[in-house]
Amino acid sequence: MRVGLLALGLAALAAGAAQNDQVCAACHAKESASFPATPMAQALFTVDSCAILKNHPDLQYQEGPYHTEIKREGDRSIITVTRGAETFSIPILYALGQGKAGQTYVFQYDGAIYESRASFYNELGALDTTIGDIGIKPQSIVEAAGRRLTPVDAANCFACHSHGGSAGGVLHLDSVLPGVACQSCHGQVEKHAAAVRAGNVAAAKLPHLADLPAEDTSELCGKCHRTWSQIAQTGMHGPNTVRFQPYRLTNSKCYDVDDQRIRCTACHNPHDQLNTNLASYDSKCEACHSTALHTKVCSVAKENCVTCHMPKVDLPGAHHQFTDHQIRIVRAGESFPN
Amino acid sequence: MLVCGRALAGLAGFILLTAGAIWCQDVSSPETILRHAVELHQAGDIAGAIAQYRAYLDQVPDSVMARSNLGAALSHAGKFPEAIVEYQKALELQPANLPVRMNLALAYYKSSDIAHAAAELERVLAERPSERQPALLLSDCYLRLGENRKAIDLLTPLQQQTPADKALDYMLGTALVRDGQTARGESLVDLILRDGDSAEAHLLLGESRMWANDFPGALAEFQKALAINPQLPSLNGYYGTALANLGDDAGAEAAFRKELAMDPNDYPANFQLGKLLLRTNSAESRPCLERALRQRPNDAATRYQIALLDLQDGRTDEARTALENLLRENPNDVEAHISLATAYYRLKRKQDGNKQRAIVLQLNSGKHADLAGGTSK
Repeated sequence: MRVGLLALGLAALAAGAAQNDQVCAACHAKESASFPATPMAQALFTVDSCAILKNHPDLQYQEGPYHTEIKREGDRSIITVTRGAETFSIPILYALGQGKAGQTYVFQYDGAIYESRASFYNELGALDTTIGDIGIKPQSIVEAAGRRLTPVDAANCFACHSHGGSAGGVLHLDSVLPGVACQSCHGQVEKHAAAVRAGNVAAAKLPHLADLPAEDTSELCGKCHRTWSQIAQTGMHGPNTVRFQPYRLTNSKCYDVDDQRIRCTACHNPHDQLNTNLASYDSKCEACHSTALHTKVCSVAKENCVTCHMPKVDLPGAHHQFTDHQIRIVRAGESFPN
Repeated sequence: MLVCGRALAGLAGFILLTAGAIWCQDVSSPETILRHAVELHQAGDIAGAIAQYRAYLDQVPDSVMARSNLGAALSHAGKFPEAIVEYQKALELQPANLPVRMNLALAYYKSSDIAHAAAELERVLAERPSERQPALLLSDCYLRLGENRKAIDLLTPLQQQTPADKALDYMLGTALVRDGQTARGESLVDLILRDGDSAEAHLLLGESRMWANDFPGALAEFQKALAINPQLPSLNGYYGTALANLGDDAGAEAAFRKELAMDPNDYPANFQLGKLLLRTNSAESRPCLERALRQRPNDAATRYQIALLDLQDGRTDEARTALENLLRENPNDVEAHISLATAYYRLKRKQDGNKQRAIVLQLNSGKHADLAGGTSK
């Protein structure tokens, strides 16, 4: 009966435009109400809706002989690079990233997607070199505007910043929708919704992500935030790894593949905004470290655990401090643990 | 391979043994049956010849000549596994019969069992070190098996004897480039190009660029080769590999499929296509990787990809075994340690998984601490 009623509501909503999320909202109202405000839901903006580009109508950046300008023209923003008499000008296609740390732009040129060489950094309120391009000298005016992405890289880029436009390593720009959405993590939500509409409880089943242990959660979140395996395979070490939270978390001494108390979602609710009240995370630590459990407790402080045990780390060139998710006892003067 | 067709044509002379010593006997006598079999064979009635050889061998099972002729007829009919059995039986009777061993090698080669073909050719060459055609065929086997150094050792003296042989230059150049001796390899390309533009030369130059991780440069060379001869063996496979390295998976897949349409057993195309399809189409990836492994039975890269496929398909214990074996051979293989950790976790062997991850972190940080009895993080 309950399924039948839900099915009626779902059927009505299914006829609408941005179907998936609205369809999901019919049953999952709480999650659907809070999710649009999350950084994940705001991982990509169309140019006409991008607040940073609207609020900064004339961004300038000088790099060696190249001068880059991002200028607002109505609902569009245009990247223009000049070097002497040479000029390259192209409209921005999308803005990637919410902008809390930074925002990078993509444009389409010569049949390929390019990532802008200049990114907006919140801390600077201005443009600077995109983090992946630091140390690479542009060889042409087009390269000064952006780095040509391979088709696979472009598809991967949009797979994490948007939904609907990337399937099987191929990018379909026509169907790109901004931000991460329900199906990005939950999979075949259309099938699920159709089964609910049809009253087919068995077919409506989706993987219950809330039951996942730490390792599987890391693998899921790591699809975009990078898994331990992905980073380990690159051999990357040093502060550059601090951006990749599942990798850092896995390297924590307290990480246990089977323990739900140390999984990503033990601390972060993916359907809600990031909780910036650091004391609120104490209870997460106490789930393991407490006198009641007769486990090791901190001899220095009783609150704000993360301020010491998950220090903020400056990532060179990122103009932002990232929380190091490798939970540990931090010793004064120690080097960044790999 | 360029040389292969010519080598095979030359070696075909080994195939049919004559029955000159057969005397006219009664209609039902074994000798009459054999003579009839040979006549049918020479007249091109292969099915009839096979039946007559079998009938003769029922009565005279120890006839090396009949066994060998039956093997040749079966090979002609494309029945290589059966041909191999007959040649092997003939060699049990006469182990020193080199023509039969050569035919056995050819049957293995044609059935794409390159490892066994190489083993038999090595035995032929051990007896006849100056024979050129078995040496060329063996070199081709070595190239297909990825044993480039062996191909170089075999081809270098031959090239010195016949410096104007472009096909030989090409094979040796290929082996040198694949062995990382690009400068020496490219000097042979110059010899090949002396008589005009050639697809083989551009393929070789492309391989050389790939070796140096210059994928755009490699792609340009492969495109030149394709413009001259799009049917050149292995060319589409290498072209696809360059495209894959440049992030054009769709283009790469199309190129690998073209190569496999021409040669279903091409190692690079099977390996690369299997690897490419691993995440999206495991049902098609597996046969590609298995074909690649049949070409190079000990190839670590292929075995690793199959282990990844097993992990993905839930065949965790098979993956674990394969990864453990790979790590026994190469304990510093970071990727294998990473995947083995995943396998252990799935098998609920948490401590073993943690140990693998600890090894990876140590290998990545360049430390060489003694990991014996290593603990979890």
